[in-house]
This record gives sequence, structure tokens and C-alpha cells, in this order.
Amino acid sequence: MSVASDMSLLTLITGASLPVQLVMVILLITSLFSWWYIFIKVATIKRAETESEDFENKFWSGGDLNKLYEGITAGRRKPRGMASIFEAGFKEYIRHKQQGKMEVSDVMEGSRRAMRAAYNRELDDLDAHLPFLASVGSVSPYIGLFGTVWGIMNSFRGLSSVAQATLSQVAPGIAEALIATAIGLFAAIPAVIAYNRFASNVDRLSVRYESFMEEFTNILQRKS
Amino acid sequence: MLRPHESTDSWKAGALAIAVHVFLLGAMLVSFNWKAAHPVLSVTEVELWDKLPSTKPVISEPPKPEPKPIVEEKPEIKPEPKPEPKPVVEEKPKPEEPKVDIELEKKKEELKKKEEIKQKALDEQRKKDVLEKLQKEAREDELREKKALEKKQADALKKMQQDMLSEENAAENKQANAASAAANASVIGEYTDRIKSKIRGNVNKTLCGDGNPELRFTIGLLPTGDFSSAPKLIKSSGNAACDAAVERAIAASEPLPLPSDPAIYAKFRNLNLTFRPNE
Repeated sequence: MSVASDMSLLTLITGASLPVQLVMVILLITSLFSWWYIFIKVATIKRAETESEDFENKFWSGGDLNKLYEGITAGRRKPRGMASIFEAGFKEYIRHKQQGKMEVSDVMEGSRRAMRAAYNRELDDLDAHLPFLASVGSVSPYIGLFGTVWGIMNSFRGLSSVAQATLSQVAPGIAEALIATAIGLFAAIPAVIAYNRFASNVDRLSVRYESFMEEFTNILQRKS
Repeated sequence: MLRPHESTDSWKAGALAIAVHVFLLGAMLVSFNWKAAHPVLSVTEVELWDKLPSTKPVISEPPKPEPKPIVEEKPEIKPEPKPEPKPVVEEKPKPEEPKVDIELEKKKEELKKKEEIKQKALDEQRKKDVLEKLQKEAREDELREKKALEKKQADALKKMQQDMLSEENAAENKQANAASAAANASVIGEYTDRIKSKIRGNVNKTLCGDGNPELRFTIGLLPTGDFSSAPKLIKSSGNAACDAAVERAIAASEPLPLPSDPAIYAKFRNLNLTFRPNE
């Protein structure tokens, strides 16, 4: 056996057996997707936070609610986040008022239901892709470990036909097998960190939305 | 897979994700010394041997049997001359017993005879002296011969020792010319033994069964012990697994131990190796 065996990354990957290579490809794809979702989630959650901040500032500045409503619906874009909750509740409230002869409790109930529906839609948007990140974080180390175990099994099987087992006969096989674990961990660690961070961010946003709903309901009840 | 409101970020996020992977891959390639220089050059292989692969053992043997026959000849030469003079000495006193009469005539005769006897005794004495002289001379000759022989032997021994010394010096100086044909043969034998033992250490003998299979390989060798051509199987053991095991062992034994003497290396350039894994 030539002692100066090539240990470059490329030869380690191309020298691996087919199952190990398959595991590497799967892990690389999941890693790419999880990072893609991570960046998308970072952007969307950040935007949702700034939008709700802006809306709260506008809402509590004491302006006319009708004007605020018109301002939101006039925009070409569909309102999102807290604005969409406000829009749904206020629209329902106006409709009930236009019909007249409705009891206050019924009006409040209707607008509250509309707001809850909008709130659920918003939360669903915020929670999107988090399950994917969670499963990547928990499963990809196992996939990588599978590739490693397979590779080590192969390299030890090759050892059985040699009389004198030296480290240089096992080392390349183990090195290329361990690359699978490395890729698995590389995919899993950021996914777990991102999942925890996003989950807490979404929780805080949902609490913010709920408290806004309660406060807005109070304001509507006072108006009617 | 994507929410409609997320599509605005998708391209940016995708580019960032790829950038992260490229960055990490680059960091891995740079930080890891993937083509780490193996400490090949610092590795020294040590083989333990009972004898030095020098010319000593073969040359020191022949002088021993040579002096022995010469030493054995000496006792044979010694007893030969001794029995020769003895019978001569014993026979002569016999005529000393003639009977003497008391008569005058006889007295006269007696006197005569006495004189004769005296004469005879004198003669005998003379003869004895001569014999003794001859014997002495013979012994001296013998001694001289012996001494000469001993001297010759000592000279021969000395010469041999000197030859040995000079040959040793020659081996030390790595002068191919000084090494005799016998020494060359012994060195070749030593190194073929070393090559075989090195290969034997790498053979998985369980694959060759219990018998005594014999394989023959031709191996092209470079002066460094590396193969100039892959080992070729000439005579199979009849067991394909055994053949493969021995071939693997030969490949694993590279580089093979070779004499540094270029003249002897010539015999190893195309090595015909007969190998018995179970020997």
C-alpha cells in the first residue's frame, strides 16, 4: 500500500461507496434547503415585527380609526400582520353597524370572530417551514451517522483480508465515512438554532397580536 | 412550498444559502491540511537478524576442517619409526652366551673367544652407537619435519586469517571487487531470506491451507527495493486464494530489502522468487 495516499476532500468523497455518497447528496440538499428557509424566515419575521411596530405606533397615535382603515385598505398590497387583524375586525364592525338594530354583544362577537380568523391565518404564515427546520435538526445527524456506520463497516470488511492491519489501511475509509457525519451535523446545528429562535419570535409576535385584539375589542365596545 | 408573501425574499435567501455553503466549504479546504505530508521519510524500518548479512559466517567455516586432518596425521607418523630400532637391539645380546671349558686349550680358546667376545662386544657397542646415532638423526629429522609442518600450518592459518580480515575490510569499504564469489552467494542467500521473511510476515497463511504449497514469482526490482514491474505469478500453488494472498503480501512488502552493493543488486534486478508460505 502506498503510504502517501491522497487524502484530499474530493478524493475522499469520490472514493466513498455509493450509499455513503447518496447520504452525502441527501444531506447537502437538505442543508441547502434549510439554509434557504432560514434566510426566508429571518426576513419575514423581521418584516412582521417592524410592520406591527409601525402599525401600533399609528394606532396608538390617537388618529381617527376610519381614516386608518381607509389608509390600510387603499394600499395595493394586501395588509399583513397586525394590520390585517385590524382590517378584518373593523370591516366586520362596520358591516354590523350598517345593518343596524344589532345588539352590541352580537356586533362585538362578530368582529372578534373575524379578528380571530385573521389572527390564525397570520400565525399560520409565521409558523410556515418551522416543522421542516425541526425535522432537519433532529434527523440529519442520524442520516449522517448512517453513512458513517456504512462506510466504517466497509473499511473494516476490507481489513479482514489483510494479515497485518495497519492504521493506514483503515484511516482513509473512516475519514471518508466521517465526512457524512460532518455534513449531517453541518445541516443540523443551524437548523436547530434557527428553529428555537424562530419559535420564540413567533410566540412573542402572537402574544403581541392577541393583546392588540383584546385592546381593539375594548375600543370597539366603547365606540358602539 | 413557499407562501406567496415569501416569494419576494426567495432569491435573496437562496443566494445567501449557497454563499454560506461555499464559505464553509472554502473554510474547510483552507483550514484542514488535506494533503498532510505523511511522515514517510522519518519512518525507519527495523528488522532483527541473528547474523549479520556479511561474508563472515561462510568463510570462517572452511578453515576449521582443513587443519584437523593434518593434526591427525602426526600420531600416525610417530609410532612408525620406534618399532624399527627396538627389535634390532633385542636380538644382539643372544650370541653372548657361549659355554666355556676349563681345559687350557679351551682356556686359550677361551681367551681367544673372550677376545673375540670383547671384539664382538666392541663391535656391538659400535653398532649400537651407530644405530643410536641413526635413530637420533631420524628422530631429529622427524622433529624437524614436524616443526616445518606446524609452521606451514600456522602460516596457512595466518594467511587465511589475513585473507578473512582483508575480505572483511573489503566488505566494509563496499568494494565489490574484493568480495569473493562465495561471499556474493552468501549475501544473495541472506537477502533472499530477508525478502522471503518480510513477505512471510504479510501473508495471511490461513488462506494457504495446511500443506506446503510452492509459488514462484518474478519481480522486477529497482535498486531502492521498489518494484519496477508488478510481481508476476509463474507457478501457481493451485489455490487461487493462496496465490492472491501471497501476491498481496508481496505488494505490501514493498520496498523489499536489497543489498546496497550494486554488483550484487544485479542478481536481484529480475528476481525469481520461489516462495513457500508455510515453511
